[in-house]
Amino acid sequence: MDKEENKMTEKVDSENIAPENDSVEIVKIEVSQEELDVKKIKRSQKIGKIAATVGVYIFLIFIAIIVLFPFYWMLNSSLKTIEEYKWTKPSFFPNKLDWANYYEAYKAASLGDLFLHTVYVGLISTVLSLIITVLSAFAFARLDFKGKNAVFAVLLATMMIPGELFTITNYSTIYALGWQNTFSAMIIPFLVSVFYIYLLRQNFLQIPNELYLAAKVDGTSDFKYLLKVMVPLALPTLISITILKMMGAWNTYVWPNLVANDDAHKLITNGLRNAFTAADGTSDYPVQMAAVAIVSAPLFIVFLFLRKYIMKGVSRSGIKG
Amino acid sequence: MVDGKTQWKGWLYLAPALIMLAIFTFWPIINTLYMAFSNGYTSLGSAGGETYSLGIENFIKVIQYKGFVTCLKNTCLLCIITVPVSTILALLISVALNSIKVLNRALQTIYFLPYVTNSIAIGMVFAMMFNIVGLTPNGDSAITWGIINNIIQLFGGKGINWINAGSNYWANMMVMIIYIVWNALPFKILILLGGLQSINKQYYDAAKIDGASRSRILWRITVPLLSPMIAYVVITGFIGGFKEYTSIVGVFGNTMGPAGNPRVLNTIVGFIYDSLSNNNYGRASAAALILFVIIFIVTMLNMYVSKKKVHY
Amino acid sequence: MKRKSFIGCLVALATLATLSGCNKATTGLTNFVIPEGGYDGSEVTITFYHTMGDTTSAPLRSTLDKYIAEFNKTFPNIHVEHEQIGNYDNVRDKIKEQISVGAQPNMAYSYPDHVALYNKAHAVVTLDQFIDDTKEYETTNAAGEKVKYTFGLTKEQKDDFIKGYYDTGKAYGDDLMYSLPYSKSTEVLYYNKTFFENNKLNVPTTWDEMWTLCARIKEIDPSSTPLGYDSANNWFITMCEQMESPYTSAVGNHFLFNNKKNKDWLIDLKEKYKAGYFTTQGLLGTYTSSIFTETATQDATKSYMSIGSSAGATHQRPEKDAEGNYPFEVGIASIPQINPNKPKVISQGPDICIFKNDNPQKVCASWLFLKYITTCVELQAEFGLVSGYVPVLKSVSDNPVYKAAIEKADGGANIAALSAKVCLEQEEAYYTSPAFVGSSTARDEVGSLLEAVVTEQKTIDEAFADAIDECEYAI
Repeated sequence: MDKEENKMTEKVDSENIAPENDSVEIVKIEVSQEELDVKKIKRSQKIGKIAATVGVYIFLIFIAIIVLFPFYWMLNSSLKTIEEYKWTKPSFFPNKLDWANYYEAYKAASLGDLFLHTVYVGLISTVLSLIITVLSAFAFARLDFKGKNAVFAVLLATMMIPGELFTITNYSTIYALGWQNTFSAMIIPFLVSVFYIYLLRQNFLQIPNELYLAAKVDGTSDFKYLLKVMVPLALPTLISITILKMMGAWNTYVWPNLVANDDAHKLITNGLRNAFTAADGTSDYPVQMAAVAIVSAPLFIVFLFLRKYIMKGVSRSGIKG
Repeated sequence: MVDGKTQWKGWLYLAPALIMLAIFTFWPIINTLYMAFSNGYTSLGSAGGETYSLGIENFIKVIQYKGFVTCLKNTCLLCIITVPVSTILALLISVALNSIKVLNRALQTIYFLPYVTNSIAIGMVFAMMFNIVGLTPNGDSAITWGIINNIIQLFGGKGINWINAGSNYWANMMVMIIYIVWNALPFKILILLGGLQSINKQYYDAAKIDGASRSRILWRITVPLLSPMIAYVVITGFIGGFKEYTSIVGVFGNTMGPAGNPRVLNTIVGFIYDSLSNNNYGRASAAALILFVIIFIVTMLNMYVSKKKVHY
Repeated sequence: MKRKSFIGCLVALATLATLSGCNKATTGLTNFVIPEGGYDGSEVTITFYHTMGDTTSAPLRSTLDKYIAEFNKTFPNIHVEHEQIGNYDNVRDKIKEQISVGAQPNMAYSYPDHVALYNKAHAVVTLDQFIDDTKEYETTNAAGEKVKYTFGLTKEQKDDFIKGYYDTGKAYGDDLMYSLPYSKSTEVLYYNKTFFENNKLNVPTTWDEMWTLCARIKEIDPSSTPLGYDSANNWFITMCEQMESPYTSAVGNHFLFNNKKNKDWLIDLKEKYKAGYFTTQGLLGTYTSSIFTETATQDATKSYMSIGSSAGATHQRPEKDAEGNYPFEVGIASIPQINPNKPKVISQGPDICIFKNDNPQKVCASWLFLKYITTCVELQAEFGLVSGYVPVLKSVSDNPVYKAAIEKADGGANIAALSAKVCLEQEEAYYTSPAFVGSSTARDEVGSLLEAVVTEQKTIDEAFADAIDECEYAI
């Protein structure tokens, strides 16, 4: 028994030894030797723990440097003159800070308008998209009807088809609807995201069924239950969807460039993209990098402030449930 | 349970989504099928009044084309290498991150940054880092070795021709693997970290009592408990991996390969884009259907494996 | 049960498909005929896609706007809406999609292979009927006066175009005119004049002289790469022209570059590369101008000659030193030839084409605008000076503003003018390659093939066979 006890103490923290006083006193001589060993082991454990922690930090910081380096290089390049950019030996810090690149990228389009258009498209499409997503996810998670699983499987399968292929057909559709150069053309085709429906459905499934049944007994309608119980409970996921959707509006390029590229509807990437091409048809890389930095900055800022929600939301999409 | 009313209700709730999908997803899919099976279909030709016979000529053309085999090989290789590498790396990072308190948030934020960037733009930055300027024909000296080679030389290594003219296929692949893994980490770390935080601490306490070593805890407790999340990142990783394209454009440009060896790194989606830019919508559609079948099979396989291995 | 609902889904989709099938855009791409009475003076808005930017150093769009105002004095009801669509490829991709639904613009910057692509849908208006039209029409100008105008180009106007540029419009094998040249560039040889003078070297006019010179420069500066040729594509194509060996054909069998003459040239070129005589942008890993403008005294690989776009002259000039002087003077000359009596240099830069439209008035209006911007000497002169591109009209060199600028040409501050001067002097040498669907693939392939052969990534036969395979697949 004692031997068992002592074996345990080798691995368990010191607090756990204290209550064993009674039994220890009987075999005092042997134990003092054991105690020494325990102390030794504890010390080496502590050193091991510190070493492990240091190792962990070195590993994590090393990875962080690797992750950050390209961003540093982007900023570095965006502040170089085109001549310095072409240097065969790249400099780690611009010789002369060429802020004009940012001005040039900014000037290439009226950034204020572009910003407004983008926010407008982003907001409207987010709101509509949320409504559709909530309704569909609810149907998939809580309602029972024939063919539900088949429809869900079909929807999931569509996620596997390369979206590039839809472009030409959708473009014909938009044209047939007479929607070129309208905000509708940029908003409506992408309102439904199977991924978001899936994400929210998983979230809804985690809400205990008992709540639903209780509400039914109380005579609450499905819609009211959805609005009053499920939506508030799934709020973090909804916020994450909002952010992902806004990020999408911010980064989209190919489609808006095709359907609505006039000054009254141009989005931010489309506007800035023109800064990418210099007068002689070659690319002015520093200006391009400046443009990328300008486009990325708002996303970074949003991310810094809403980190918690983005992370929670994305990680909620795990398979649980 | 299933009465007439809920039947009707379910479809009502789904109606907005289904209508949109019908117009902007299902119809394009049907049109894709039509284009894929119309021999030699081009949208411009079609606009110009050409008519097409139905058949499988597009598929034959695509499969017989040497370049398509290269695309298939590259896509599969990239998937098979980058998905496990990024998953394991993400797992290690998440576990490490979960074990520390100081700097935890700052590091989490840093790791997530690649998620909010444009992969073409950052690809250009990667290209810049690996680029050698003025490599001599015998490969011994260069004007600039690039920052990565500078680091290798600092440790006494020999500069490697990564992405320039005359470079080796595996060197090219290596660069792409590094970039793709870099790009794939944030999402995976996020998911795995979220999973780790939801693991009940009692499991670890029990393990400590049992005296399990760190690596034993990792493989025997963490990984099984995380298995739903791991399965998820692996499946989405494969689906994303089979659609790899923009990262290669970022590093190698539209030629999809080093100078003198274009398209050596092309992928299936790259092939689809090439066909689209030549207006060969028939071939693009055929390739897309082939890609769909591949992704479908791989996903089913993944699901099958994870059903056996995932602990819920 | 499950299967049934799935089949139901499919049936629904199929119904949808047939419904949407009726929706296919009807294309109004019937052949265009000049209407009786020409342009009737009605209000029309024409759209024009291009790649012109508007930077402080090169305000291209503003320059165009100025001349649109001028054009509107005669045709006040023609409203020109013009738009920058990224780069040339972006313009092509957008228009290509638009044509397939019938939403194309009225006119656009075009390269011959773009026009060949658009013509799969017969979307481009042939310009011959306009050019050859002899009628005189009447319209009311902005001041309310009646003025006469014509569609056709006079013989003087036609002859004023630099022939090589004008011929780009009919490179399609059917002898019809599909576009007019707008702003052009070519390749020129930039050389380090200071170095050449110090070492008493002569500027090479033939390739034989060029290689002898490279050997000589290697003796003077063994670490140098004497020549940088930016575009491997252009090099191959230009050599085909100079050697009079086949490259491509617009009709019949398209790809003719797999021949002994070309192979022999490449085998020889490989030796030159091994000797360290030249590099290209692809081989070097960056613009060749970067080693040409390198001024560090030691430890730097330099080149003393660079063949690149005439529009990029300012990139070939070294940075000013601390005292504000250029470290060396740049000289510009025509590129070396095989046969100096039959010089051949490439012609690059955009043409402008006109698209078919349901409203013939828009087509007429587009032509009037196109005719104006390509034949207006003042516009061509000013645009040339602002953009660094070569004007397409010979008479621009007599324009007082242009003349004054060209007279100031030097290898330092006014290097762009020097480049323009050289281009104008070689007006007889411009050639155009045949254009067809797949011609741009051939262009890219021959460049890659050159780089693959000299770096020995592929044997010469492999490289040619691969390139031909790739080209054949693209059509």
